[in-house]
Amino acid sequence: MKVIAAYSIKGGVGKTSTAVNLAYLAAQSGYRTLVWDLDPQGASSYYFRVKPKIKGGSKELIAGERELDGLIKATDFENLDLLPADFSFRNLDLVLDTRKKPTQRLKKLLQPLSDSYDFIFLDCPPNISLLSEAIFETSDILLSPIIPTTLSLRTLEQLKTFIKENKLKDLKLIPFFSMADRRKKMHREIMETLSEKHPDILQTAIPYASDIERMGLERMPLGGYTNKSRSTEAYQALWQEILATIN
Amino acid sequence: MTALPLHFELPEHMAAEKFLSKLGKKIDFQIASEQYATKTFYDSFDWRLYSAGILCELNQSKSASHISLIDRNTGKCLALENQQEVPSFSNQFQDGRLKTQLDPILEMRALLPLCQLPYQIFHINVLNKDQKTTVRIKLEAYENLGSRISLQPLKGYEKAVARVSQLLEKSLALVPTQSSILNSALKLQGRKAQDYSSKLVIKLDPELRADRASKVIYRALLKSIKINEAGTIADIDTEFLHDYRVAIRRTRAGLSQIKNVFPDSIVTQYASFFAWLGQITSATRDLDVYLLNYQQYKAALPKSLQEDITPLYTFLKQKQKQAQTELATHLKNPNYIKQLLAWEQFLKEPLPEKGCSNAANLTIKELADQRIWKVYKRLIKEANEITEDSPAESLHDLRKTCKKLRYLMEFFQSLYPADEIKALIKALKGFQSVLGDFQDYEVQENSLKKFSAEMMANKVESNTFLAMGVLVQYLDSMRNAARHDFAKQYKLFKQEENRIVFKSLFAPQIEVKKS
Repeated sequence: MKVIAAYSIKGGVGKTSTAVNLAYLAAQSGYRTLVWDLDPQGASSYYFRVKPKIKGGSKELIAGERELDGLIKATDFENLDLLPADFSFRNLDLVLDTRKKPTQRLKKLLQPLSDSYDFIFLDCPPNISLLSEAIFETSDILLSPIIPTTLSLRTLEQLKTFIKENKLKDLKLIPFFSMADRRKKMHREIMETLSEKHPDILQTAIPYASDIERMGLERMPLGGYTNKSRSTEAYQALWQEILATIN
Repeated sequence: MTALPLHFELPEHMAAEKFLSKLGKKIDFQIASEQYATKTFYDSFDWRLYSAGILCELNQSKSASHISLIDRNTGKCLALENQQEVPSFSNQFQDGRLKTQLDPILEMRALLPLCQLPYQIFHINVLNKDQKTTVRIKLEAYENLGSRISLQPLKGYEKAVARVSQLLEKSLALVPTQSSILNSALKLQGRKAQDYSSKLVIKLDPELRADRASKVIYRALLKSIKINEAGTIADIDTEFLHDYRVAIRRTRAGLSQIKNVFPDSIVTQYASFFAWLGQITSATRDLDVYLLNYQQYKAALPKSLQEDITPLYTFLKQKQKQAQTELATHLKNPNYIKQLLAWEQFLKEPLPEKGCSNAANLTIKELADQRIWKVYKRLIKEANEITEDSPAESLHDLRKTCKKLRYLMEFFQSLYPADEIKALIKALKGFQSVLGDFQDYEVQENSLKKFSAEMMANKVESNTFLAMGVLVQYLDSMRNAARHDFAKQYKLFKQEENRIVFKSLFAPQIEVKKS
């Protein structure tokens, strides 16, 4: 089981579409896949048409009173399940703080699922907090979308420093460009400079595209309603690149 | 929840369309796809998958073709892969869940098609108010076999599936079914599942006259010979020949061990016929065994020599092919067919009012007691005489005696309390296997030496001979290990507990009193 967190300190960078679309592709190629919607806004739950509600809320979940397995919902796609969000997840930080070893908590909760899934995608809320630290501890890969703007450079460097200072040796950070608009000169330039400075950024960039935005209307992963487009090809290429990094 | 019916049969008069229109009045659903397809069931000749509770299906439609493994009891899909055709052997599958599941069950047995069913399939999604699928329904309409409904529960939507199941059963009056469409299709062919097993199952009436009972045994063995004949000739997999040979060997053991129940002339005639069959089939079987062991041989070599052994495989393969061709020619020969038919005729013929000897007129239970007890005593005597220094020959002779005893116990199993005789057979099997190993390793060692001489002519690289040399050494060490294990295994076999059961089941009453 590999845990892949779609994470960024910033909001609105395409974390949810990343988690949902990559999970869809993983499931399509036969991997047993789970998306855990950790964001109280419940966007990925919405995309899969599942109510953003779990019995007992964040308290019982973190206390380990409910096994995750009992909260999981099958999506409409083969091999792809969802652990829905709950509005109480807005307090996840506070609830975690009441526990001993709070940063180990998610890891412990996911442990029993290790035989049932090949990939678990975490759709994370934007911030850097105790929950983020717990996510870092449990994840094998931190997949971080970057919009090609000047601010993104700072965010990426902040994240790298954090990982280094916290000695998260088992965590692999994989940044990639998201919502990239090649028509914008600034996007192109930043992508060039950033890629030189950070060669660990993946080759594939996810374009800013209207068919990705339509996910909210269609309420399903991109591949569920679009057969072949520049966006589907970009996600496919991104997934292949990630698989290659893992292996 | 476990009692929830998930599989239903549609009443014969109800067409798929009619069912769908009825369903539409009750729940919101969407037909995700509708296709014509063909379903072919596969299993090994001895029903290994079915016995393990698994069905293997190849489903082919215009747009897709996939192999799936289905849990026979729950209907759950255990593995699914897109593939155009089903490979014969599990090791020919691509790496993946199908292969990992099939390999340990099928081992060396080939997958064969059981029956092919054309059908129309509807994939139906039951939707909630968010248009989210909460239950999947598969409707399969078969030609001549009616239609089937299967509910596929989705994780986290247990209530929904319970609701739909109840709706089908109560409101639409569908009949829940447990048996697969395979069972109905087999019935139409006049067959039933698990109609072949390599295990010998003979039910005997203890009061039956010994010669008549013997014919019952030989008829069962003949059935096994005949049923495995075509697969042996076609070389579908190694086990057809194996089972064929086992039935031959059992028949021979019967002719020599169930003594004096038929006239001598009959026994002599057929003993030599079956001996001949044993002999013409042995070369192919030996080579099959080497080929089956090949991976083990390879693994026994140091890494640096593992590739060098490949020419041995090529050599064995070629030799096996030759031997197989010869064997097939023999089994297609009119003379063979004539003799086997004559044997069949003899087994069919009614026996005279009075048996040909005293033994023939005993009840089969009396004869079985006598024979088993006698061979058992001989076995103990022979085994007791074996010391650390005994020559290999005496172990080989003991092995033969073990086999005789084993076959007798298997023939007559139904005459004794099942758990007791089963436990004894199991104990004997354990003891036999150490003797079997001892001999097999020796035979393999000698064969390898013989093969290397033949391979010299093929300009084989010197490293291959080096690897074969290492192999001979490995086999030798295994043989020594088996030899050392003998005393321990024998002690296990002759332990008091077994001896008491042997005595109570087979010894004459008077002898029990004496002790």
